[in-house]
Amino acid sequence: MSENKLRSNGTLKRIDGKKFRGYLEADEQGAAFYQKGKAEPLVQWHYARLHRMDNIRLGGTSTQVTVILKDDSRYILELDQGLKLYSFMDSHWADKPVTPKTRGDELRRLAELRGEKIQSPKKHLVTRRHPNRSIAGDIGIYLMLILVGIMMVFPLVFLVGSSLKPLDELFRFPPPVWPQHPTTDNFSDLFVTMGQSWIPFSRYLINTVLITAVGTFGHLVIASMAAFVLAKYEFPGGRLFFNIVTTCLMFSGYVTGIPNYLIMSRLGMIDTYWALILPAFAAPIGLFLMKQFMEGLPTALIEAATIDGAGRLRIFWSIVMPNVKPAWLTMIIFSVQSLWNTSAATVIYSEAKKTLVYALQQIQAGGIARTGQVAAANVIIVSVPILIFIFSQSRILETMASSGIKD
Amino acid sequence: MEKSFASRYITMRREKFRHGLEQAKKNKGCYLFLAPYAILFITFFILPITTSIIYSFTYYNILEPARFIGLQNYINLILQDEVFLTAVKNTFVIAVITGPVGYILSFLFAWFINELPKWLRAIAVVVFYAPSIAGAAFTVFSIIFRGDAYGWFNSILMEFGLIEAPRLWLTDPNYMMSILVFVILWMSMGTGFLSFVAGFQGIDRSMYEAGYVDGVRNRWQELYHITLPSMKPMLLFGAVMSITNAFNVSDVPRLLCGYPSTDYAARTVVTHLFDYGFSRFEMGYASAIATILFVVMILCKKAISALLGRVGA
Repeated sequence: MSENKLRSNGTLKRIDGKKFRGYLEADEQGAAFYQKGKAEPLVQWHYARLHRMDNIRLGGTSTQVTVILKDDSRYILELDQGLKLYSFMDSHWADKPVTPKTRGDELRRLAELRGEKIQSPKKHLVTRRHPNRSIAGDIGIYLMLILVGIMMVFPLVFLVGSSLKPLDELFRFPPPVWPQHPTTDNFSDLFVTMGQSWIPFSRYLINTVLITAVGTFGHLVIASMAAFVLAKYEFPGGRLFFNIVTTCLMFSGYVTGIPNYLIMSRLGMIDTYWALILPAFAAPIGLFLMKQFMEGLPTALIEAATIDGAGRLRIFWSIVMPNVKPAWLTMIIFSVQSLWNTSAATVIYSEAKKTLVYALQQIQAGGIARTGQVAAANVIIVSVPILIFIFSQSRILETMASSGIKD
Repeated sequence: MEKSFASRYITMRREKFRHGLEQAKKNKGCYLFLAPYAILFITFFILPITTSIIYSFTYYNILEPARFIGLQNYINLILQDEVFLTAVKNTFVIAVITGPVGYILSFLFAWFINELPKWLRAIAVVVFYAPSIAGAAFTVFSIIFRGDAYGWFNSILMEFGLIEAPRLWLTDPNYMMSILVFVILWMSMGTGFLSFVAGFQGIDRSMYEAGYVDGVRNRWQELYHITLPSMKPMLLFGAVMSITNAFNVSDVPRLLCGYPSTDYAARTVVTHLFDYGFSRFEMGYASAIATILFVVMILCKKAISALLGRVGA
């Protein structure tokens, strides 16, 4: 290998989702990825084997690039010195196919058209990472973000504050945002109040957890199956069906609530958990996001498995599903969010089957003296979806990247 | 000559149909995969929408069988139901303000957030998305805007001497709508916002570099000529989400301003629909309201996608 070696720390992700930490080394002939502490490269490719590189995404500190070799193996690299290394690899790429999809070529052609003589045009261009940014503009953006950000969190902070306020601080003038003597009295009072009603608080909690868990699981399986065939096979009616689902994204449970009630009473599902669970199975948003995400999976993966004799169910279960984990999480969070927040006042009458949110609305109806308890109950309810979101944010954003509606 | 053209057309259609049938036979398994979802979807989405449309032409109160009355429901809605007109006015005001403003704000803040370093970005996304994911958390506004002096907003205004006596923010018809619009805007950074954040991250960097070579000189030009055109699909998705949020407003007025609210000042089309459907059991009438809502939402989506077709062109 020659002197001209570039090296960058980062991670390599294989198509099966396995991640490796290490560094990438590139020179004129090829590139290799070494795992930490190992002398032998994990993956190595000569540039002649390279089919293309694309999906370059610039993060704050690292660059992501997908490398696709001619044998259709693909690796997602996340590199600290990504842009530099990418342009280096790109400029030494032998027998480069000139297609619009080959990143970097457009740039070179542009320069050629103008008759500019640029030895390594990208190097010149990317020295400024933010070519079109002014400092004044940056400051303005930060100020806006901070101001509006405070407005966004203030009510939530106020909510948490109220749930921790002792009674005298709840009714003090002027009311403090954050309590001077925080107490968990409201939470224990909440359990006492709920314990005195003839349905224990835990019952509402169990109902909600049950509905959320069953509804989400069923939704995940059923909608993924449908999304899989809609995304990967051409069959009459498929596209029409998907377009109808896309239109139905707009119609919330409220607008369809009345005929839905009639249908459920025909089916004898009023006042059962099914009245909440079955419609959740068919939530359009889950199918929509899953289908869009699955479209990004390489078709070659499925074709190869079909040639190997794998049935559709096998392909779905052991090839497609493991590869769309980010979309799972997204489906889960949207489904949990809507089921967890459901009050179900119209389809469930028995007290013992009602949900947490419904119980909360009942406490709220108890009037001003219950302010602290309402805040406490609210904190309990609100924290679940927010926590799930915090822990799965990056996966969710990965899914949302394919959420667009193509007209 | 004409006849042969017609017969050719028929053969073509027939061929197409046969081809479709063959495709369907070849992919029988696909229908099996689709079936569970399709059955549930048809039962709980398509069927309700069609029954809604059908019932909208009838008088139906669940107890007696439905009776066909033609367009009477629609005529009553528009000519006799004054509360409906209030509801339409309110929904219209809410939709016209919170729809576009929420949409633009979602986009702008997704764009601003995209400029942040990675770790800050993660925090900012949570901060902006939390209100919409937090469901019933907006009920905290009933404490913030409480009508007595213990309400936070009242106390702040009194402290600064802007008002002398506490105001009934949530029960005085003069203030209700502004408070509602504010709260709905607070919750408007939803699914569409997430889609925008993700869309910004997915844009190919080299396009910006190419733009720089081409003479793009500031972030606004970059936004209009490069970012917007490549985010059209997300923009349409976000628009669909905004339409949903703007027209389906019902929980916020119901829980903050009461149900029914003073003088129906916070009534929206959906709460009106609820009132007739679940309190008065006038299902036919409620269905007519729902049908109008469907039509308006679909028209809105069509208009927006036509509008987005021109962006960046």
